[in-house]
Amino acid sequence: MSVRGRIAAAKAFLFGDSARAFGTLSLALLALLTVVPARDYFRDWRGVQKQYLQLIHGRNDAPALTRHFQGGVQQIWLPEIGVVDRCTTCHVGLKESTLTDVRTQPFRPHPPVPHSLTEFGCVLCHRGQGTATSVADAHNSSSSWEEPILPARYLESGCGQCHIQPLTGTPKLNQGRELLARYGCVRCHTMRAPDGTKRTGTDEPPSLEHIADKTSREWIAAWLRDPQAYAGSATMPNFQLKDDEIRDIAAFLIAQSQPYRSQKASEPAPVPSQDDAVIQQGASLYGESFCASCHAVQNAAGLLVGGNLGPELTRVGSKVKIDWLADWLRNPAIYDPASAMPHYRFDAKQIGLLVTFLSSKTDSDFTGTAKAAAAEPKQIERGRILVIERGCASCHAINGLKAPEDFAPELTEVGSRPLSRILFAPGVPNTLPDYIAARIRDPRSFGDTLKMPRFSLPQPQVDAIVTALLAQTARAETLPASMRIPARKPSDYRPAGRAGKLMDEMRCFSCHIINGRGGTMAPELTYEGTSVQRAWLVNFLKNPNTLRPALIRRMPRFNVTDAEANTLADYIMTAWQTPDFEGDASDDLRFTAADVQSGRELFYNKYACQSCHIIDQSKDKGYVGPTLTQVGSRLTAPWILHWLRNAQTLRPGSLEPVWNMNDADARSITAFLMAQKGAPVKEAARK
Amino acid sequence: MAATLSQQLTALRRTRVWRSVFRGGNGTSNLDRALAVQQNLFLHLSSVKVRKRSLAFRVTWFLGTLCMGALMILVATGIPLMLYYHPSVPQAYADMKDLQSVVSAGVFLRNLHRWSAHAMVLLVFAHMFKVFYRGAYRPPREFNWVVGVILLIVTLLLSYTGYLLPWDQLAFWAITVGSNLLSSVPVIGPKVRFLMLGGNTVNANALLRFYVLHCVILPLTAATFVAVHFWRIRKDGGIYPGKDHKHA
Repeated sequence: MSVRGRIAAAKAFLFGDSARAFGTLSLALLALLTVVPARDYFRDWRGVQKQYLQLIHGRNDAPALTRHFQGGVQQIWLPEIGVVDRCTTCHVGLKESTLTDVRTQPFRPHPPVPHSLTEFGCVLCHRGQGTATSVADAHNSSSSWEEPILPARYLESGCGQCHIQPLTGTPKLNQGRELLARYGCVRCHTMRAPDGTKRTGTDEPPSLEHIADKTSREWIAAWLRDPQAYAGSATMPNFQLKDDEIRDIAAFLIAQSQPYRSQKASEPAPVPSQDDAVIQQGASLYGESFCASCHAVQNAAGLLVGGNLGPELTRVGSKVKIDWLADWLRNPAIYDPASAMPHYRFDAKQIGLLVTFLSSKTDSDFTGTAKAAAAEPKQIERGRILVIERGCASCHAINGLKAPEDFAPELTEVGSRPLSRILFAPGVPNTLPDYIAARIRDPRSFGDTLKMPRFSLPQPQVDAIVTALLAQTARAETLPASMRIPARKPSDYRPAGRAGKLMDEMRCFSCHIINGRGGTMAPELTYEGTSVQRAWLVNFLKNPNTLRPALIRRMPRFNVTDAEANTLADYIMTAWQTPDFEGDASDDLRFTAADVQSGRELFYNKYACQSCHIIDQSKDKGYVGPTLTQVGSRLTAPWILHWLRNAQTLRPGSLEPVWNMNDADARSITAFLMAQKGAPVKEAARK
Repeated sequence: MAATLSQQLTALRRTRVWRSVFRGGNGTSNLDRALAVQQNLFLHLSSVKVRKRSLAFRVTWFLGTLCMGALMILVATGIPLMLYYHPSVPQAYADMKDLQSVVSAGVFLRNLHRWSAHAMVLLVFAHMFKVFYRGAYRPPREFNWVVGVILLIVTLLLSYTGYLLPWDQLAFWAITVGSNLLSSVPVIGPKVRFLMLGGNTVNANALLRFYVLHCVILPLTAATFVAVHFWRIRKDGGIYPGKDHKHA
């Protein structure tokens, strides 16, 4: 039979009459319909669960693992927070601590985290599509689900949805938030924590209301061109301005400036000497005053040496005017009442030396030598418009301009911005973290007309900022308030009276934390009155000798008078006391020579305190903790005793270990330490 | 040897149970056959007799029947879908994702419903074109043409209301755009839009309204007019046989 004949016969067999055609079509439909349950049966997760059973088969821990294993679709269901996560359908071994040797996904156990895995589910931190039961749907982004799995390097953003305060386990998130505050991002972009509080900046951008008294038009222009060329550590970003824009903005800023003092300074400004010897003397005074605790200077190798509380001073001579510098050193509060810089009480000679030294730190490459031509009114007016357009007043106080509100888009929910509303620049992978990172790295790549300036940040810092921004999700705001770890209320502690006024002048709170307020550079002083002896304190205030020789940052000398030192010491000894015990040594803290001897044994042998502390300058090498050579003249015996029992209750976060020391040991070591007396201190005259 | 299939069927029709259910006789005379159709609630809508030539494929391309088939598939898949779906803002999209990820044959149900809906819109249009180009709308069938137009509108509305129910971006914006078009109708436009959405924006109320329209009001309307449509085919002399036929 020919092929054509066969086909005809088959056609007749299948569709010969209406009954046959109906039957054939019905069978075909039935066959098609079997595909449906078959596809249902052969879903990804069934294969994965089979693989898991093969994996655990024959292991020593197989009985326990098999007992824990439950087949079928599994889910973590938390209706209060809207979580339906079926990830555990495939990630079967998440909770199996005995599977630590398994490194392959999806069977790896979850690394230990402070939360139970069923407390919040998976998606809250990892993103992805929790309800999905296929590999692709759960992990990837698609048109019906825009949140793919978050790359591991941004994972800490999950924590930030509930934890508003820094956490020890999330360095990247903390760093990102700190950078957002330090670089003033939050001054243009409103950013709210989940509890509704606005995040605030820590960058303290200077007021420009008196800028003409402080610096020149040429310096402003050079600074605007590239702030990092002046100071690598500058937090001001590069606004990528054109030369004529820079010229006009500088002209406007000088024109709007008003004098900061109504009359001339009572003392004439010193004339900086060109003599190298005088400059050298100034440099010594700069060192003795520990200016480097706050201000950094580039050394010959181009590395920054010094603190970051104040601005970098490498090229300060190119920037400031002599009159202003002298005034500033005399008392910073005259120019800027809110400055963190203390009032040093320098005398005229010291001011002259420092002015000489600082004004010698010039860099002619930076400003050039050309004087700018006088500004035309047209340029000033254009500068004003440019300043408004660029939102300079968001950060800086400028005469006649109000700080604009919501100058830049709000970023409270940037971490859940839908991809469909994002315009990706060419070459940027289409994910939210990549988009945010690209915007931070080079904002203008998204369009020349965008106003956002460029921050030159290294990749780890960009990653940290992305992490912090990804924590700003819409979900964080809708989570139940009970899940939020509330922010600690900032303390507004202010010591009162004459002592309080002195502490304000010396800006103690710029470095020390006292009763919850203050900086973190120096030790906490909340219970200082219980801790130290009055005679030592008075002497220390007058002439701070270092307790921690390994540190660059040290307490500067504020040139206080005897009377002032006594006022401060009176206040500290009275007010800064722990409520838990008395600082005065009671009768049972009188020690015998035997106590001291056994204390020495315990100090050197049982507890090996010399690993961190120095008693004997000639042989001890401990630099982690403060030197204890004269501790018996500095600290009180009850303080040492309680400190040895548990330092964390006295100063939370101290590096001192919790020793769980018995009372006899603590008493003996206290005896030994109290025996370490220095030379007798001459009592400062009281007023 | 056992009786043939037709003999067994005849025997079945003679049983008491059969006769208590089906009122018609069981003979093979024309009367019996006519009664079988006429005495049945569902079949009596259709003609008792049909011209053999009007059953040929080329006459209608079976488009009306295919429309009806699509409608029946939509009802058959729509009812199980209703079991898995809550018309509420927080649940609607999640329910749809669950259909895809955990409900047995959920993807099949949803996709069959969706494709049948698309097919039905196409088929209804094709049906109308076929009727139009054959001239089958002419008297005495002009009222049935009007019923057909109503059915077209109901079909489009069913399709439109169903589009919102997944509550995804596509749905949301499609309905936003669609309802804004409506509000540009002079005088009554904004009022009708408000009535349709149950508010001024596409929101929870709109979702609920569209759900009720899609699952109750419009299907009942469609069923009613389909019944009228079929009934009028019989009353208007069956399927239009073509203009060269004597007894048009």
